Amino acid sequence: MLNIKGLSVKLPGFVLYDINLQVDTGEFFAIIGPTGSGKSLLLEAVMGLLPGNTISSTGQIFLKDREITHLPPHKRGIGILYQDVALFPHMTVEENIRYGIRYHRIDKQRVEELFSFLTDRFGIRHLLKRYPVRISGGERQRVALCRVLILNPKVLLLDEPLSALDPLFQQEIRQLLRQLHKELGITFVIVSHNFEEVMYLAKKGAVIQKGQIVQQGQIEEIFNRPASSSVARFVGATNVFKVHKKDGCTKVGAFPIILDDKAKYSSFTHISIRPERIVAGVDRLNDGLPENIFEGNVVEMSRQSFNVSLRLERSDGILFHAIWPEYLVRSLGIGLGGSVKFGFFKGDVGTFKE
Amino acid sequence: MAISKTRNTTFFFLGLFIFSLPVLFLIFFPLGKLMTAPSLTSLVQAIMEKDVQAALLRSLFTSLSAALISVVFGTPLAYLLARRSFTGKKLIEGLIDLPIMIPHPVIGIAILGLAARDTALGKLLEWMGIQIMGSYVGIISVLTFVGLPFFLNTAKAAFESVPIRLEQVSMTLGAGQLSTFFRVTLPLAWRGIVLGMVMCTARAISEFGAVIVVAYHPMLAPVLIYERFTAYGLKYSQPVAVWLIFISVLLFVAMRLLSRSARQW
Repeated sequence: MLNIKGLSVKLPGFVLYDINLQVDTGEFFAIIGPTGSGKSLLLEAVMGLLPGNTISSTGQIFLKDREITHLPPHKRGIGILYQDVALFPHMTVEENIRYGIRYHRIDKQRVEELFSFLTDRFGIRHLLKRYPVRISGGERQRVALCRVLILNPKVLLLDEPLSALDPLFQQEIRQLLRQLHKELGITFVIVSHNFEEVMYLAKKGAVIQKGQIVQQGQIEEIFNRPASSSVARFVGATNVFKVHKKDGCTKVGAFPIILDDKAKYSSFTHISIRPERIVAGVDRLNDGLPENIFEGNVVEMSRQSFNVSLRLERSDGILFHAIWPEYLVRSLGIGLGGSVKFGFFKGDVGTFKE
Repeated sequence: MAISKTRNTTFFFLGLFIFSLPVLFLIFFPLGKLMTAPSLTSLVQAIMEKDVQAALLRSLFTSLSAALISVVFGTPLAYLLARRSFTGKKLIEGLIDLPIMIPHPVIGIAILGLAARDTALGKLLEWMGIQIMGSYVGIISVLTFVGLPFFLNTAKAAFESVPIRLEQVSMTLGAGQLSTFFRVTLPLAWRGIVLGMVMCTARAISEFGAVIVVAYHPMLAPVLIYERFTAYGLKYSQPVAVWLIFISVLLFVAMRLLSRSARQW
């Protein structure tokens, strides 16, 4: 559906370099990356809204095999929802929703049907005569979504759509987006640095860092098997270790690591494990034991919402980071300075070469 | 604790007010004195005079014309300056502000010089039968010259206050640039443009130095006030001055109300 080939954009002090992305029809694709990595610039390039200080831009953008690289934004057939929603303040909710209709060849009856369906579906029918300043943040987001969806875009770009909302509205809009994706079959591309949001909504995605795509594939794969230490750091896979290989055995520090077959025969120099994948209290498990089991001392403990973040030091001085539910830490009697048996499954180990 | 905070705030604002008094005195005292100096009879007599009526109407007409010309031709320039960066932009912005800085008789002399018979423009104007000296064209030209910077700067600020994001959203929804300008940018910058028009009219209606060089006749209200002052003294010029102030205030209040009534959001 959306195919980006060799896209490079040069701005003063920043370069978006050689972006290649393929988003399939009906997919919910996520572009994740830290602040300032070029996510929003990539969306602007796809929309044809490059900033005024752009020095140069090269590459090609295709929508359903039609090249749209040089088309103005209003002829691209792509919709966008910004985090600040940008409703027109001088127009009522209804005028906002109907704003773009006159520029598209859509059957009048079809428009009215869509208008009724969307305003009912989004629960904004009672707001139609109000001005944006008189409605809540969540309602504004729904109006902005309605305004873009009524034009039936082939692709909808979402530029951090939830980041400006409070948690209650975030959950509401997140659910709405997922349901709409299922119901309308539109291709969604979301830009975000919120992992919870990305894991809830998208199946596939790409990581962008310093203007370059550094990994792309299934979201699960990106979070569990980062392709580099910088991606690992970004996605929160905090246990990254350089390995030593000797006599067919892979070691981290003084202890061997058991890996799955796929990893074992690949060429790699580092392994990564998410802190949430570290298993607690393995000495109390009867079956289903992880393949890698170690013992260590708790050298650091801190609360993270309803979880506890722990640093576990093995006898060879290697530190592991684990995030365990608070109730589990309490029920297992884990405390600072105490000894604990922990482990991880071979399938949860990511590998990469650096 | 709360009480001392409130006291501090009160003292702070009281201090601000006391320091503002000289400025307020400077503005209101001479104007107040001027407004109350003529008797009601002399005011009525003044407005019944045909010369006074004609001069006041002429002042209104020429200054509003200058404001209208500024709106029509200045709005695109103000938008361009608000939205685009280009080589020479700073120079253009500097040139725009020039009429504020230079002595006003110089503006009149410059306009006359440009349209002199030995210049290409002068020859063209003569061929077209247009006269600058002693004509409405001349008066409106100098008034536009002196008023334009006030319109441009205010309108530019108004356009800058419209978020670019709204224009981008309009374009992503299918609107072209022109449509976006008329449906999004202009309605949001409208009040600023009216304010610019008010500023431009205000500057133009009070102009004397440039006008007197270009056209003593047809006589505008400031020229008439000056003429009466030099020929008959303060007493005879004051009623006309009061009428000019009164009409100007009415005009500006009406324009402000017009721009406010458009706001519903």
